[in-house]
Amino acid sequence: MDDLLFGLAFNALTLFCGLFVVLLSGLLGNPQGQVFAQRGKAEQRAYTLLKGWLSPEQIAQLERHGYFEVRGSHSDKRYRIRSNRNMNIDELDGEGSRVAVWCFGPAGYLPLADNMLAQKIALETDEQAALAVANHSWPELRRGRYLQSNLPNERAPLSRW
Amino acid sequence: MAVQIVMDTTGDSRHEFNAADAVEVGKAAQRFKQLTEAGFTAAVRTGNGRSKIIHNFDADAEETVFFPRLQGG
Repeated sequence: MDDLLFGLAFNALTLFCGLFVVLLSGLLGNPQGQVFAQRGKAEQRAYTLLKGWLSPEQIAQLERHGYFEVRGSHSDKRYRIRSNRNMNIDELDGEGSRVAVWCFGPAGYLPLADNMLAQKIALETDEQAALAVANHSWPELRRGRYLQSNLPNERAPLSRW
Repeated sequence: MAVQIVMDTTGDSRHEFNAADAVEVGKAAQRFKQLTEAGFTAAVRTGNGRSKIIHNFDADAEETVFFPRLQGG
């Protein structure tokens, strides 16, 4: 019985692997595969454009850490724009600690670097309008609330959530 | 040559025009109007990583970038 089950499982695994190889080779050979290749070119074009709009300090930050910092046009707050697609803007306090996370970007699917450039321009030229449409969270405050609410004999503080 | 750079899924589309050619400037101005009316934001570089948003076509701008309307992510 065990041999029969093993044989069935082995055959199923072989079939799955075969299907995967067929699908992968088909994907790379058809226009959809070419779309992925094009997307790589798009990212490269966008990255080149982004670097053309950054200051030398911002380029150095991006190449070294994968993020760069900007100043808000209205508040003069520091924001760190990270190389991620979602929730990638950290608002920093005077000591460089993250106090909030923001997320906004241009509508539609754009290369990541285009997204980051639009975020930079928006924060540096019209911060209030950008943040007005953004989603945000306060991760450090959440963590603080979590820790505090898990202390024995402590009531969880009132929260805004 | 001046250039209008429109962000899109390919990275960007570039439209060059000669700022000394009235016909090309007219086409560029028309493109600016169409894009901004469609919700795109136009920005130009002002040096050392700084930029500014413009609401009117600037034929003297060497490079103008357009990005789609912002939305929460």
